Amino acid sequence: MTRTEHVALKGTRDGLVLYLDPVADFGLLMNELDKLLKDSVQFLQGANVRCYAGTKEYAEDEHVMLVTVLRQHHLEFSGWLTTEEVYVPGKVQAYTEDKETRLREEGMVEGSCLFVERTLRSGKSVQFEGHVVVLGDVNPGAEIIATGNIVVLGSLRGVAHAGATGERRASVSAYHLAPTQLRIADLVTRAPDEEASGRGPEIARIKDDQLIVEMSGMNSRRGKDR
Amino acid sequence: MGEIIVVTSGKGGVGKTTTSANIGTGLAAAGHKVVLVDTDIGLRNLDVVMGLENRIVYDLVDVTSGNCRLKQALIKDKRFENLFLLPAAQTKDKSAVSPEQMRTLATELKEEFDYAIIDCPAGIEQGFRNAIAGADRAIVVCTPEVSAVRDADRIIGLLEAAELRNPKLIINRIRPEMVKRGDMMDISDILDILAIELIGVVPEDESIVISTNRGEPAVMDQASKAGEAYRRITRRIKGEEVTLMNLDVPLGIFDKLKKLVGIR
Repeated sequence: MTRTEHVALKGTRDGLVLYLDPVADFGLLMNELDKLLKDSVQFLQGANVRCYAGTKEYAEDEHVMLVTVLRQHHLEFSGWLTTEEVYVPGKVQAYTEDKETRLREEGMVEGSCLFVERTLRSGKSVQFEGHVVVLGDVNPGAEIIATGNIVVLGSLRGVAHAGATGERRASVSAYHLAPTQLRIADLVTRAPDEEASGRGPEIARIKDDQLIVEMSGMNSRRGKDR
Repeated sequence: MGEIIVVTSGKGGVGKTTTSANIGTGLAAAGHKVVLVDTDIGLRNLDVVMGLENRIVYDLVDVTSGNCRLKQALIKDKRFENLFLLPAAQTKDKSAVSPEQMRTLATELKEEFDYAIIDCPAGIEQGFRNAIAGADRAIVVCTPEVSAVRDADRIIGLLEAAELRNPKLIINRIRPEMVKRGDMMDISDILDILAIELIGVVPEDESIVISTNRGEPAVMDQASKAGEAYRRITRRIKGEEVTLMNLDVPLGIFDKLKKLVGIR
């Protein structure tokens, strides 16, 4: 990424993006842009550039000016970006809907994740916006609340709430799944009074408005979808 | 330089005071210079269990607030020259002492004694925070009940948060015949949840009730099963490797007959 005080040029997966400071004077912007491109022009010849200046709208002649400056450096203007489409520092990028669905179809979910590298004992509460992975046990009296999925590489005996903000596709899985209470989105269940032991890894998720628990592995999701 | 060991549990009535008295007496019997500190201000018991109630003049609060010197408040045990008790105050409450003051006291005790055993009150509030403030090691007492295990788990978490790593576990009042019938949690059930090192298992024993009422710790009673368990725990605290006690219930004559005839 190359930048001056008010102008920045950044390569993304979808091509070059030019960031213009919305509050800076337009003449100053053009001067800086000219300088910036002079330094880096060899790499970029012939590329398409999309521009972003927040919600600021430039006048017709300013727009023409911008396109001209870009042309002088053999760059092609190819449109404006909206706030939703670009990454703004300090703000989490909104994933586009089709990317999330595409990943879901491949059996993948992404998002921020909290690794808890210890056992959670009674009285401990972990709350996180995203997924939670516990490398240890979750004892009775401890709780985990996550907006995403919960994975416990050990015994889950406490309370777990996945998809806490209403995400019904969230899941809770554990090597030994025996929670005091299990919640996914708006559904709540408690463990059956008689505990079956030695069942191996299991995963809980919502199917047809019901919270169900099944063996985690070959005969669960993959077996049914394909 | 001595060592401060806090005996704690979270839940009340699981045997902290009995354990403190027996470990302290056991260590003293082995020749160490030991002090027992009761931090259960307002509900003191350790003096009664040790049979020293009528000798109390000054107490813990007098020492921490500077009313008397440490030496004046220490009560010498009836049986051992090298065993002392620092009793709790009965007329004050837990807020009469601060963790800071306990740390200062702990430094003082360490210079004087080989071991200081701190009897912690039930609960996780100020009394608990005072008791663990100056400790180097912790012993968690737990009975084979779900509620006691739950509280012990919480306590272990709080001890770890207070940088008291690797607390040791004593399972108290276990009844082998009930475990055998499947009516009581067994040792592995408890260790499964608590996941800390076991330092001893003490069987339920009537002699504890008798010795507590008499003010004579069971650890001195050679015939007592619980006493034997405490003797082993004492040796483990000193760093010896000792096997766990065999808690198998001997078959009664009736059971032997049934086995012979082949009825289960």
